[in-house]
This record gives sequence, C-alpha cells and structure tokens, in this order.
Amino acid sequence: MPTKNTLRNLLENCLFVWVGLSLILTLAPAQYQFPEIIQVTGRAHPLILHFPIVLLLLGLIFFFLPALQKNPEVKEIGEFTFLFGSNLAGITVIAGLILAREEYEGDALLLHQWAGLGVFLLSVLLYFFRAKKASIKTTLSLILAAGIVLTGHWGANLTHGDDFLLAPLKSEVQDLPTLAEAEVFRDMVNPILEAKCLSCHKEGKIKGELRLDHVEGIQKGGKTGPLFVAGDPEKSILFERIHLPVDDKKHMPPKNKAQLSDEEMMVLQEWIAQGGKFDQKVEDSNPESELFQLASLKFEKNKSYDFEAADQETIQELNNFYRLVTPLYPESPALLVSYYGIAAFDPESLKDLKDVKEQVVEINLNKMPLKEVDLEFLKDFPHLEKLSLNFTDIETKHLQAISEIPNLQDLAVSGNAFGEKDFQALENMTGLRKLFLWQKGISDSQKDQLSKSLETTEIDFGFDGSGITYELNPPSIKQDKVFFSDSLKIEITHPIPSTEIRYTLDGSEPDSLNSLIYTNPVWVNSSGKLRAKVFAEDWKGSNSSVTVYMKAGLSPEEYKLLTDPNEKYKAQGARTVFDKVKGKNNHTSGEWLGYSEKPFDIELKHDKSHKIKSLGLSLLYNESAYIFPPTRVQILALENGKWITLVDDHPKPSEKIEEIRSELLLYPIEDSNFEKIRVTVNPITSLPSWHAGAGARGWVFIDELLIN
Amino acid sequence: MEKEILEQGLNLNRRKFLSRLSLGVGSAALGSLLIPDLFSGKSGAEEAMMAALPHFAPKAKRVIYLFQNGAPSQLESFDYKPLLQKSYGQDLPESIRKGQRLTGMTAGQDRFPLVGSYYDFQQYGESRAWISSLFPHTASIVDDICIVKSMHTEAINHDPALTFFQTGAQVGNRPSMGSWLSYGLGSENSNLPAFCVLLSRGKGNGQGVYSKLWSNGFLDATHQGVQFSNSEDPVLYLKDPESMSRSERRKMLDQIAAMNDLSYKEFNDPAISAKVQQYEMAFRMQTAVPEITDVSKEPDSIVKLYGPDCLVPGTYAANCLLARKLSESGVRFVQLYHQGWDQHGNLPNEMALQAKDVDQASAALITDLKQRGLLDETLVIWGGEFGRTNYCQGNIQVDNYGRDHHPRAFSIWMAGGGVKSGMVYGETDEFGYNIVENPVHVHDFQATVMNLMGIDHEKLIFKHLGRRYRLTDVSGHVIKDLIA
Repeated sequence: MPTKNTLRNLLENCLFVWVGLSLILTLAPAQYQFPEIIQVTGRAHPLILHFPIVLLLLGLIFFFLPALQKNPEVKEIGEFTFLFGSNLAGITVIAGLILAREEYEGDALLLHQWAGLGVFLLSVLLYFFRAKKASIKTTLSLILAAGIVLTGHWGANLTHGDDFLLAPLKSEVQDLPTLAEAEVFRDMVNPILEAKCLSCHKEGKIKGELRLDHVEGIQKGGKTGPLFVAGDPEKSILFERIHLPVDDKKHMPPKNKAQLSDEEMMVLQEWIAQGGKFDQKVEDSNPESELFQLASLKFEKNKSYDFEAADQETIQELNNFYRLVTPLYPESPALLVSYYGIAAFDPESLKDLKDVKEQVVEINLNKMPLKEVDLEFLKDFPHLEKLSLNFTDIETKHLQAISEIPNLQDLAVSGNAFGEKDFQALENMTGLRKLFLWQKGISDSQKDQLSKSLETTEIDFGFDGSGITYELNPPSIKQDKVFFSDSLKIEITHPIPSTEIRYTLDGSEPDSLNSLIYTNPVWVNSSGKLRAKVFAEDWKGSNSSVTVYMKAGLSPEEYKLLTDPNEKYKAQGARTVFDKVKGKNNHTSGEWLGYSEKPFDIELKHDKSHKIKSLGLSLLYNESAYIFPPTRVQILALENGKWITLVDDHPKPSEKIEEIRSELLLYPIEDSNFEKIRVTVNPITSLPSWHAGAGARGWVFIDELLIN
Repeated sequence: MEKEILEQGLNLNRRKFLSRLSLGVGSAALGSLLIPDLFSGKSGAEEAMMAALPHFAPKAKRVIYLFQNGAPSQLESFDYKPLLQKSYGQDLPESIRKGQRLTGMTAGQDRFPLVGSYYDFQQYGESRAWISSLFPHTASIVDDICIVKSMHTEAINHDPALTFFQTGAQVGNRPSMGSWLSYGLGSENSNLPAFCVLLSRGKGNGQGVYSKLWSNGFLDATHQGVQFSNSEDPVLYLKDPESMSRSERRKMLDQIAAMNDLSYKEFNDPAISAKVQQYEMAFRMQTAVPEITDVSKEPDSIVKLYGPDCLVPGTYAANCLLARKLSESGVRFVQLYHQGWDQHGNLPNEMALQAKDVDQASAALITDLKQRGLLDETLVIWGGEFGRTNYCQGNIQVDNYGRDHHPRAFSIWMAGGGVKSGMVYGETDEFGYNIVENPVHVHDFQATVMNLMGIDHEKLIFKHLGRRYRLTDVSGHVIKDLIA
C-alpha cells in the first residue's frame, strides 16, 4: 500500500520539522515580534490543543493492549492515530509558543510551556521506539499519559483561573467575617476582582499589563495608567471601563465574559470614592453609604451558620399541627422552632427538640403554659440565639435555666409576673443583646438597676399605660327578650375583667358609690329600665348602657285607632300595639306604626276586673332617620262621662344624634274604673337646628302599648 | 443448521441488547441518585420552585397591612407643603400638572385652586419627619417607622387602584398579595389560615371593599383570604351544628377521612388529600379562633395602648388588636381595610374623624409588637391606594375643602420586618404634585415587600392559561434603600 506508506513517511518527516520549529521558537529572543498572520496561528492554540490530547491518548491505548497488537491492521490504525496525535502536538506547541508572547508570563506559563514541549518530544521518541522493549515502552507511555493530563490541566488554569477544576468540590459555605471584622477591600472589593477580573489580569496572563492579583499590581495600574484616582471614581479608568457600553472594545469585563452586576459596580465605585484604601474596615465607612448598607446585609443578616444541617427526615417528623420546625431558608442548617395552639401543648414534646439541638437558633413558646415545665434541657442548645417566652408564667427557676444557654442573644419574657428574685436572675444575663421585658408594675428603680447590670443589653420595658386615663367602654347587656310574663334574666358584661359594674333599675344614672354592684345576673319581674356603668381604677367611668324590659300586660277588650298611621308604616294596624311582639331596631321591619303628619291617637276599653297600674309606650328613637322622642304624651280617661287628664308629659328632647335604640315611656296610673282610655302621642313638628333636617317634621314609631 | 446460526445470532443480539439496556438502566439509576426528586412524581418547575422558598433568608416572617381604603390625603398627613398654604386659591400651574388626566369629578372644573393643609405640621423624632397634628400617636413612634413620600400608581379610580395595589394588576382575577405569600410560604400555624382579612369602617366618605381584593385568583382556594367578622361567628361556617358534640364531629371527620383516603388511593388526586387537610384545619380552627378573638385576657395596659375602642368589635382599633393576635399566632398575612378616606369634600372635618379612628391603634400596634420582641420579624404597612390632589375639588374655604384622586405622588409608611426605621424616603416637588426624588412604583413596593419576606419577586411565578404570572407582573425593582 504505497499511499499509506507515503503518508506515513510524510507525517514522520513532519515530526522533525515541528521539533525544529519549536526549538527555535523556544530559544527566540523575548523581544521578537511575530508578523500578524502568525499571531492568528498562535491564537488557534486553544482550538487545536484538543486534537493531540485525544489522539495521543487513543494511540497509547492501542500500544498498551496486547490483544490489539495481534491484529496487524488494528495495530496499524493505532500507530497512525499516534502519529497524527504527535504531529498535532507539535503544531499545538508551536502555536502555544507564539501565543505565549502575546500576553502571558509567569511561573504558571513556564510550567505549561515546558510540560507541553516535553509531551511533544516524548511522543516523538515513543513513536520511533515503539518496537523496542516492552518495559521501556510501558514506562514511557505512562509518563506521556500523565504528562498530557497535567499539561492540559495547567493550561486550563491559565485560562480559567486556579483551581477551576476542583472549585465545585470545595465547601460553598465560606467563613464570612462579621460586620465588625469585615474590611472593604479584602471582603468586598477583592472577591469581585477574583470572580470577574482575575482570569485575565493575573500572574501568567497579564492582559493590558494589568495585574489584579496583588495589591502592588492594583496600585501600579496597567498600560493606560493607574487604575483609579483615590476619592474620585469618575476620573478613574476602572470606573470608565466598567461603564462603557458592552459593545465597546474597551468595556470590561469583555463582552463574552461574566459581567459585573449593578451591586458590584456600586461596590467598586464606593471603594474608590472612599479613597481606595486596602485596609479600611467596613465599620469605618459612612453608615449611610450604600457600601455600608450592602455590607451589613452581607455580613450581618445573612449570617451563615457553619454547623451540620439536621437530617431532613428528623425535621419532617418534628413538624406537626402544633409545632413548626423550619430552616431559616432552604439551604440553611439553622432551624427555627415555633409552638402554636395552647390547647394542644404537651410539655413532653419539648424533649423531641433534642434531636436538633445543634441546629436550633430560635425557639418561640409564646403563651404556652410553662410554669411546671423544666427548661434545663435548653442549656444543651449551643446555637440557640433567640428565645421567646412571652406570657408563659415562667419563674426564677426557668430564668436560671435560661441563663445557662451558652449563646443566647435575644430573650423575650414580656407578660410574665416577675418578682425581686426574678430580676436578680435577669441581672446575670449579661450576654444578652436584646431583652423584651414588658409587664405590669416594674418600678423605676427596678428598671434602673437592671439597665445598669445589663449595660450592653437593649431592654424594652414596653408600655404600661400608667398616668393615662381613658373613659371605659359601656358594658354590654344581654337579655333573651324584651317582653316577659313572669320574670326575666339580664346579664351585664365588660371585656376588662377587673372592672366593677354598677346598675340601677329606676332609670337613674348609676354612680360608683351607691348603685347596686353587679355580681350575678339580675332577675326582674316588672316592666322597667336597667342602666349600667362600669368603673375601674385608673379609668374614667363609662357611659351608661340602658335596656328596657316589659312585662307583657293585659289586652284591652276593645280598641280603635283614631288616626291612621303613615301609609308606609302601618304594620298590622292597631293590633300591632297589643301583639306582644317587640319590634326590631329598624323602623322598616313592619312591626312599627309610624306617625309624622298626625299624632298617634288610640282609644281603648279594658276589662274592669283588672285595675290598671301603669301604661307603657314602647318607642323607637333614631335621630339620623328623623325619628325623635315625642313632644307630648297625653293619657286621658273617661270617668263618669267626663274626660279627665291622667298624664300630660313632655319627654326630654334629643340633643344629638345617637344610636338607634328602643325606649320605654312608663306612666303609673292612679287607678280606677275608667270607661275608656285615650292615648295621644305627638311627633316633633320641627326638627331642631343642629339636625341636618332642621325644620322638617319628625316621626314617632310605636310598637307596643303596655297595660299593667 | 442455518436456522440455528440465525437463532444464535438473534440470541446474541438479544443478549447484547439486554446488556446494553442494563447499562442504560444503570445510568438512569445513577442519575436519579444525583437528582433526588426525579422520580418522586412532583414534576414541573412549580414543585421545584416551591421547595426552594423562601429564596433567601427572610427579614420578615409576617405582614400586617393596614390598608387605608379610599386614599387618605398625603397633604394632611405626611407630605408637608407650606407653599400650598401660601398659594391658597391660586391656580395649579400647567407646568406642574403636565397634562395629568383628571377624574370625572373634577374634569368639569374650570379652575384648580391650590389649597394647603388646614392642619399644622411639626417635626418629630430623630428623623425630624414632618407629621400633621392629626396623627399625634404616629408622631410618637416616628423613629420606628419609615415614611415613603414618593409612592406612585397607575390607576386614578378606587377600584382599579385598590386591585392594582393588592394584586399587581388593575383588572381582577389575579391572586392578592396575601394569597401569593400564602402560596409561596404557607402557614406558620397549621391551626389558622395563612391569610386573614379584617374590615372596619370610619365615619368619612367611604368606598367599598369586596372579596375579589383578597381572592386567591388562579391559585388554589386554600390561599384565599379568610375574613374575620365582628359578629358572634368571627369565621363563618366554622361552628358545629347545634347539638353536635366535638367528639361526634371528630368521629365524623375520621370517617370522611377514611373514605377520602380510599378514593385517594384509587385516583391519586392530590385535591382529595388537600380536602382532608382543610377539614382538619377547620376542626382545629374551632378551638384556635375563639382563643384568638377573646380579648378578655389582654392586660388593661393593652386596652389603654390601643384605646378603649379596641374592645368594640368591628372597629379599626379592635381589628389592630386582633391583627396582632393573629400575627403573633403565626398568620402569615393579616390584611386590614379601614374605609372612609375618600374626602372629595368636607376634608378637614372628615379627615380628622378618620385620623382619630386609626392613629392611636396603628401606633399601638407598632409599640405592642415591639414590646413583645415581634417587630423585628413583622412587617407593618400603612397606606391607601393613591394620593389626593393639591388643588381643591368643589367649593374652596380655608377650613372646608375637598381633594380629588391623585396617582402621581402619595405617602405610606412601613415599620419593622427589616425595613429601615426612622427614615423618610423620597421627595415631592414643592407643590406636592410630582415626585422629584426616589420614586416608588406599586410594583417596586410589592417587590420590596416580597424581598423582605425572603422571596425573589421574579421567581415566585404561577403558570395559568398558558402564561406565567407573578405579583409584580413584568416590572418591579426591590428598593434596597428601604431595607435595613
């Protein structure tokens, strides 16, 4: 096969050409500049280099496996592969040597360069001595294989940066300094340079004569001059380059490389603006500056925890409907624990937390009844930083247990009743950063004493309300119904349990001295009006709440309305006022008779065997709907053929708009055998000047007339 | 023979095929070791995303949003403009208005007379923030809050503006902010819903609120806001029917759960197990809700802090107190609405009533959270849906005037939960009409709130009807300056 042999010869010959060329290039003086066309060949180095790596390694496999050697054709393929690889190694070396003159220098380059050259020469040797003793061949092959891998790795380091290969294996959790320790350059600026600039500006690859991998290089600057003008970012080359449009050739980092984020640009800018110092602490920069804000976010809040995360399954098992155990955020090993739902609280369940004692940083047990619970176990939680125990009835022994928690920073114990001993226990907790201690009755001297003992602790004593007096809310009155036949239960309540409720049954204003004190529900057995007020120390007494209750009375034998109610509010006519159904607080409910133009006027005749003791009118008042107290109530009786006046009353007029309410006007009647009774109720004819409808006619609404 | 050769060949192929196949299976198994969730059935980006929430360490765990419905005037509260008082009655210069559209209510006016605040302003706290005399309690906590004077929105009428604030879009049917957070972060307390809503109404001219504002939109119905009312049943349909005991209810739920479990095993529909969870939550809410709504155990200093109104169910003060109790119990998002802030006329009078309703209780909420050590982890927001014009609507008098809707600049405040305290952010021009410094768009505001909750607003997405949705739609920038 002549062609094959010709090709082989040609390739073998070429090998020597490459050896020669590469030796020349290695020895050529450093100043020598190549023509541009040759530079292009040099830049092809990163492209070509992959071929020799693959072909040489493949060829080595053919050499190594004796089984393959047995078949002459296969053997030949192997030899050809290796020959091709060797040739390409030569070309790669030459290209590399040309490229190296452009912008690379340093130890890393030398290592790569000599290793590359070595690999090439070794491959040539191995090729020509392939038929020699197997032991020599094996040794050489092994050295060559190792050489290829190492050369490639060193070359990659030149382009991608040191440790590019193994970086993902390294722990991602870095030991971030605290805000107090952090330095502007070391911890904020340098990491940006390392991530975004160093791959081209460092020992071994000093583009633009700029090195950013040591302080001197940064101070010195590059080809175009110093990198920055301290204190003046806008005059600095660094600032100019990073802000040029991305398509600009001079924009840094170059278009196809990872770009700086806004935040990173801000850091660089602020660093220059603040003088471009290399030893400045973050804390020394202006706290209002963005740099500081960013730093405080990075170093303080996102504090990283370096302990092992707990087992995912353990965490899952700890979660249930009364307890939440959750990482600070998904990748964080730190755990937060919260208990919710007093009803489901089981003190024993606290012990389960021991499984994650290393990881727990926050526990919230607010409102859980802890009085009888032993908190000793918390001292084994080395990373517990925040403990919330508001309203938990804890005492001295608990505080002593808490003081043994090694790393506790924030403690919330508001709403517990601490005494002198408890304060002493608190005074020992000097490691606290924040203490929330809002509770009733802490004296000023106690506050002072504690603040002195815990100098570095921020203590919040909360709001105790002393010195402020508000009016209490009126009490609420509950009764099942307004009409009753025998007796009725009335309950009075107030949401503040410490208040005293006083009431009257005669319609007068209750006072805090003489009126009846409410303890148990009140039973009433005749119509009337209950007024109640509440009083409490440090408070102004409330307004009174009023309720009416009506003993269902007699039904008259005959009755007749002398005037018709308004068309819209005629309900069931006259029957309405004797149906013993209390109307709802709504005049349109169809249970009320409404009068505006005319007075309500009724005449009735009753069974003479019952003596009338009183007459009651159940009315609705609602000033905003023009429903006012009547101006005049007259009750006349026909006795011996003559009408006499029993009652002529002018109820108290309204003075302001009040809530919609029910009112009972109750008139005692000196008895007798009246033949007939007539009741007239006059609505207000002209609303008072303070009302929005001043001058208009008002209304009277009545739903019941009670005869007792 | 030939047949045997053929068969042998086939066998060989089969063997080869199977052995190759085993390689494939092996590599798939290896892959599954590397990607644990590969075969767990939770497919899709959504599940992957849910597992990764919050996206970073949150600063706030919970939000209480005190929404001032109807749009309180910034010019009588936090944006002090002495020029308006000096130029009383003069026309708003066209150079300031720059063609801003008008609502139908003032479009017919031939003049736009400037009117200044009837109420005096003073500087308070270390931040020296200007606050009007209507908000004395807020002034007392000024160093705990961050006033943003440069909010702006896109809508000019109540409904779209409210909907925009709550859902990130002016049209309805999108999930509310609370729903998004419930979806993203879930509930802390599994005995209560993650998103609760409380309504109150002031004496001023009011605008309605409606349940679409706390709707779950296209998210699962479990993320809907649960409204607490001031009636005897704070949460509707929660009580057992009369004469049913709790143990009977328990038995019934167990039976239903057993049946649901059967059909879950048959159909594998996740909605079935979700339903079981909901029944269970409702059962537990039966004890959790009365615990929350009972105010009788609050010390009386708390009543003094919030003001006695907090004992009257349904008032803003009572809702603030309830909001604290809910939030303290792990409710992720408590949304209050206080109606009555729409002062087109009679502003000085109505605004005073409205401010009286909310000032003390809003400030009390901050103090109360603080004294319990909760303010650091709870974000409180106070504000309306837009601002009000610097010119008068209707008849103008020094002590009686009105203001129309103004979307270009208004003020809100935020506190706690990782927000900078004692700061005033943004500035408007001396007419209080346009923003001149640090504008904050509604989407920026939403992005910032989500950031504080540990969520990247661009990553919390939900695919619906073929496109991906998020609270901030296609815009929004986190305002880093607001974050402590």
